[in-house]
Amino acid sequence: MLLIGSLPQPITSAPIVILIYVVLILMVGCALASVVFRDLLYAVGAYAATMLLVAILYLTIAPLLLFAFQLLVFTTISAALLISVLRQSSGLMESRVGPLSREWMIGAAAGGVLFAILGVVLAATSWPVHVCCALPGSLSETLSTTYVVGVWTMAILLGSAALGCGLLLVTATPTLPSPRGGGRTRVPSSGRGRETRPR
Amino acid sequence: MTAGINLVLVASAALFAVGAFAVVARRSAIISLLGTQFMLLAGAVAFVAFGRFGLGAQNQTAAGAMALFVGATAVTQLAVGLVMALLVYRETRSFAVDVDRG
Repeated sequence: MLLIGSLPQPITSAPIVILIYVVLILMVGCALASVVFRDLLYAVGAYAATMLLVAILYLTIAPLLLFAFQLLVFTTISAALLISVLRQSSGLMESRVGPLSREWMIGAAAGGVLFAILGVVLAATSWPVHVCCALPGSLSETLSTTYVVGVWTMAILLGSAALGCGLLLVTATPTLPSPRGGGRTRVPSSGRGRETRPR
Repeated sequence: MTAGINLVLVASAALFAVGAFAVVARRSAIISLLGTQFMLLAGAVAFVAFGRFGLGAQNQTAAGAMALFVGATAVTQLAVGLVMALLVYRETRSFAVDVDRG
């Protein structure tokens, strides 16, 4: 279908443009940090920060419902899943991250700066009402009329995943190899790849 | 200084590259799952960018709907993948995807 009319103009309001630049840079930086960190708790924290920054980006250029879903549903569920897996596996208490460590302070400072910029943008402009709510039509109306099958498929998908995960976690029992079972076990302190057979 | 489709698409491409790097280069199943999340998230951000600034602007809410579906799929994939990683961890005491179980 040919496009009739002109394309939407880029955002030119200086505070919102600066906010978008900061959000995008921090988003890619947090994603990179999440991949690079060795400590899984750091990685999960950086991942949650990335999701939060994507939600702020959606608040700038997307319908409000998408921002709400990204912030309240996707970010929360993802972080809860990751934290619960860490609690059931390696454990959060074994982490070397203290509540007053330098890394947490740097992260808190970065978050404070971002929220300060957000406050300046909110005070200097009429955003988010001016930008996001100027879109024609509403996302909820589109979802309920055009994408009924997609919404139900999404609901069934999420429900099936939740049910399957619950069943797997409830029924599965730890099956660690017995120390006297005769199988090969890995020696933790002997480095990578070295194995020994118990006698 | 403006913020248009090019800026968001560049960030989306960078996010996709970071995710691909995590999937290819890291041994931890958790980090690999996070990498797939980043790749899906990059697709959703590109959808939203095209819906806001690009040729999809004729039907802007469709891009939001697509991003919503992509996000739900990503969360579902993360849930299933994490449970599988946890089951592997219970057997091997490691999240490494190439752990040698003998």
